[in-house]
Amino acid sequence: MNDVFLPDIAWLADVCDETPDTRTFRLRFRDSKKGEDFHFHPGQFLELSVFGYGEAPFCIASSPTRPEALETTVRRTGQLTNALHKLGEGDEVGVRGPFGNGFNVEAAYGKDLLFVAGGIGLPPLRSLIWNVLDERARFGNVTILYGARTPTDLVYKQELSEWGKRSDVETHVTVDAAQAGWTGKVGVVPSLFKKISFHPESTLAYVCGPPIMIRIAIQDLLALGFKEEAIISTLERMMQCGIGKCNHCAIGHRYVCRDGPVFNYGQIRELVE
Amino acid sequence: MAFSIEKKAVTKWLEKLLEAGEVVAPVRTPCGDVLFSTIRSAEEVVWDFPNPLHPPKEFVLPQTDPIVKIRRNGQHHEVEAIHDGTRRFLFNARSCDAKGIAFLTRMHEMEPADASYLRRSGNLTVISLACATPCPLGFCVCTDSGPFLSDSCDAQLTDLGESYLVEVGSAKGEAAVAEAQSLFRKATEDEVSRRKNLEVAARNHFGEETCHFASAMRRISTGRVPDALWEKMGDWCLECGGCNLVCPTCYCFGVKDLGRDGTWIRCRLRDSCQYAAFTLEASGHNPRALRKDRMKRRFFHKVSAQYYTRDGTVGCVGCGRCIKVCLGTTHMPAVVAAIRKGKWHE
Repeated sequence: MNDVFLPDIAWLADVCDETPDTRTFRLRFRDSKKGEDFHFHPGQFLELSVFGYGEAPFCIASSPTRPEALETTVRRTGQLTNALHKLGEGDEVGVRGPFGNGFNVEAAYGKDLLFVAGGIGLPPLRSLIWNVLDERARFGNVTILYGARTPTDLVYKQELSEWGKRSDVETHVTVDAAQAGWTGKVGVVPSLFKKISFHPESTLAYVCGPPIMIRIAIQDLLALGFKEEAIISTLERMMQCGIGKCNHCAIGHRYVCRDGPVFNYGQIRELVE
Repeated sequence: MAFSIEKKAVTKWLEKLLEAGEVVAPVRTPCGDVLFSTIRSAEEVVWDFPNPLHPPKEFVLPQTDPIVKIRRNGQHHEVEAIHDGTRRFLFNARSCDAKGIAFLTRMHEMEPADASYLRRSGNLTVISLACATPCPLGFCVCTDSGPFLSDSCDAQLTDLGESYLVEVGSAKGEAAVAEAQSLFRKATEDEVSRRKNLEVAARNHFGEETCHFASAMRRISTGRVPDALWEKMGDWCLECGGCNLVCPTCYCFGVKDLGRDGTWIRCRLRDSCQYAAFTLEASGHNPRALRKDRMKRRFFHKVSAQYYTRDGTVGCVGCGRCIKVCLGTTHMPAVVAAIRKGKWHE
């Protein structure tokens, strides 16, 4: 029987600023054997400890196809994330996980993929995006739609431009409000649906972002002919244990931490608060 | 297997158990309250008592439960799981509380099993005291958790006047008897039959069932409880969380690091689904910001068919403690009745 609350020690191998309040942390297990044994699916999450502050769930933002770089991207919003942002390279944190179901990558083989992300909703999809790009031949058309409030709030700017240059991926980036020097699109993420062409019957749509964006994007996708099962999202809830025991993330008799966080829209509709 | 022990020999049994481990039993405080506490001498144990306000879940799932020791050493940290391997005997727990502990154990056995809890419950021997007289607020007959038990305890005592009948229900119960085997003799057929009569008499004392779960379960599981009723009941809830804290089956928790200067104990702390912050996310978004939604959540978890199917019972042992603590009267029997009738009592 395992001590399910005992974290493994990891150190921050790299800390990278994404926006003024968001950073990407690269984690490396102190015990390298743990690192080798750490297998995960895109869409799964970690319970990250900042010692003295407790622990909180964060999605894994890196791809299982690149196991050497386990990363998570965190916005500074509360006590624990403030403390995490004060840590630098070489500092230690605790890691439990991976938890949750994650995206079913194999079920997406052969399909066209449409990624719809807003703000800090890109990190969980980034894990899947890199997984897809590293196995590019297995998938059909890949389209990435991403938006944030302002150009400053866009995460992974370098990767966005890298994806934009690739011929095997269609990438559109938009912002709600432009700033000086912004030459890209302006408008909310769902406004990008008009700029692309796709076949709803052969496409899986992955939607992640703030609740309001998710709601509008799903409505639009349904109106465009997507089936409920073809719209896949990852839910966010207050979580403590990550293993379906503490009951914070329960919706009806489902647990976001254990039964999710990835659900298709048909499943989301069946969740009764 | 049923044994019999003379009442005057029970002190000796307790003394043996005190040598073998920690003994927890109801004791009377100098102020007259009765509560479950670790005892130092057999004389402290009370035998005729109202069920304490706090259930003995404290001894498997403490209010503040240390789970991980964290030490900073320069730039490095060492973490170590905290193991409570104390052998404990819980004496004179009432039937409902024994059922409550069995419920909690099932919850923590579910995959992934929680070693921290199971280590403690695995070292706990529950010796319950059957209830020949129902307590004023109890409704254990409605939840199949009393007044007498046929499972869920390691041993059950029944007061037969001059002696106690001891029904052993597990290896741990056998071991507790074996600590002082010479004090016990095999129970006679007459003693076993007197115990059966006492159970029938105790059940008859309850009269008709007082908390009709079945029809409430049908409505709550299919979303047929009007939103306005949840809202009405939510208005009566004072958000004190008392119902959760005294409930033998509530186990929701949060995790916090307590301590400072590089030495911390990561603790599991009891939480209440009736607090607004229970579902508050760091972003400020709160899916259950309204009292009506939190109340719906509590009773869905305890009474719905979805959870009944998973857990095998309703999440209630009919102890009646929520009736005692709830100043807003939104306790289990009142809410179940309101759901059944579609109307709040006002």
